[in-house]
Amino acid sequence: MDEHFYSRLNQYRSLWVLVFFDLPTDTKKDRKIASGFRKKLLDDGFSMFQFSIYMRFCASRENADVHIKRIKKNLPPKGKVGIMTITDKQFGMMEMFYGNKVAEKETPSQQLELF
Amino acid sequence: MIKRTLFFGNPAYLSTKNEQLVVSFPDDQPEKTVPIEDIGMVVLEHPQLTITNGLMGKLVNNKVAIVSCNGQHLPDGILLPMHGHTEQTERIRHQLDASQPLKKNLWQQTVTAKIKNQAALLADREIPVQRLNHLSKSVQSGDTGNNEAQAAAYYWQHIFDLPDFNREQKGIPPNNLLNYGYAILRAIIARALVSSGLMPQVGIWHRNKYNAYCLADDIMEPYRPFVDMVVRHIVETEDTYEELNIHLKKELLSIPALDVRIDGQKSPLMVAASRTTNSLFECFAGISRKIIYPEYG
Repeated sequence: MDEHFYSRLNQYRSLWVLVFFDLPTDTKKDRKIASGFRKKLLDDGFSMFQFSIYMRFCASRENADVHIKRIKKNLPPKGKVGIMTITDKQFGMMEMFYGNKVAEKETPSQQLELF
Repeated sequence: MIKRTLFFGNPAYLSTKNEQLVVSFPDDQPEKTVPIEDIGMVVLEHPQLTITNGLMGKLVNNKVAIVSCNGQHLPDGILLPMHGHTEQTERIRHQLDASQPLKKNLWQQTVTAKIKNQAALLADREIPVQRLNHLSKSVQSGDTGNNEAQAAAYYWQHIFDLPDFNREQKGIPPNNLLNYGYAILRAIIARALVSSGLMPQVGIWHRNKYNAYCLADDIMEPYRPFVDMVVRHIVETEDTYEELNIHLKKELLSIPALDVRIDGQKSPLMVAASRTTNSLFECFAGISRKIIYPEYG
């Protein structure tokens, strides 16, 4: 289909939100808080990219803001959390490897998905 | 925000976990997940799809339109939430209390917008449209002159470069593409109506007692030319379109994401549909007198 039919949905407008975190797990209470934080991320549509790196596709800046706001509301009292936003274009340029083999990239989400 | 459309054309087991839709495949393919709040429409097309009630409940609560397809792979059912809006009961009362003159006025606006969009679509290919322009300007309240049908007769003669073409449900291709596209469009409009707290059953013009989507059929009229545009694009660029293959369906399923111009702004069609249905509610409630429809071009 012609790209010009869909200029509102281009790769520079859609975003990926990445969340990096290091949370203390020394006490039972800390572990509970850490897993609660992780569970909230999963409920909010984030998926694990690597241990303690989660990411989510967002169709627009406004949508990304909604999810960032939710993370900020659920921040754990201790530990370090980073939130980063990159465009779908930048995300698509990431290189990934398993060992020294090039790994299959996660295809950027699309508006339409066929299963 | 533009919501996602999911199309299931292969055997799969659909369930839910962590507010996600989980797709499990019968072979060893890894599971896939999609956040439920991002979904706008789900098209179920394979007989070997299993869907859990937990998932259906979550989908419906998130105002996802679930479209199920029959053995011919054509959409034939829409599942929509019973309560799409917090003020639903009040809003439906406004809808049911709408006076006959108001309904006629709304239908006039609808037909005018439809003919304008049809004219713009033909003008795109340098087909003379004075007749349509004239018809769009002379629509009367309630369309008593039946300008809609007069415009349609001219429009369908000229839109495709196909000499034998007639717009009929069971007619020759690309009628099959149009049927599919309109079914998708109808689901989008019905979803938007429900989420604006309106009842898709009670129309402003359509009132066939066998039709459960009268209002959706009314409101989708000015949107039809956008489907026609996609179908015309397919007719012009594809060698064969007799069979609705997956590639063609993909193009038709992108209809919710199409760019349309509404109220001076560009926006995806699915978002525009919600603006239209909200403005329709405002007309029913007496807040405004104008339905906002998208304009082609």
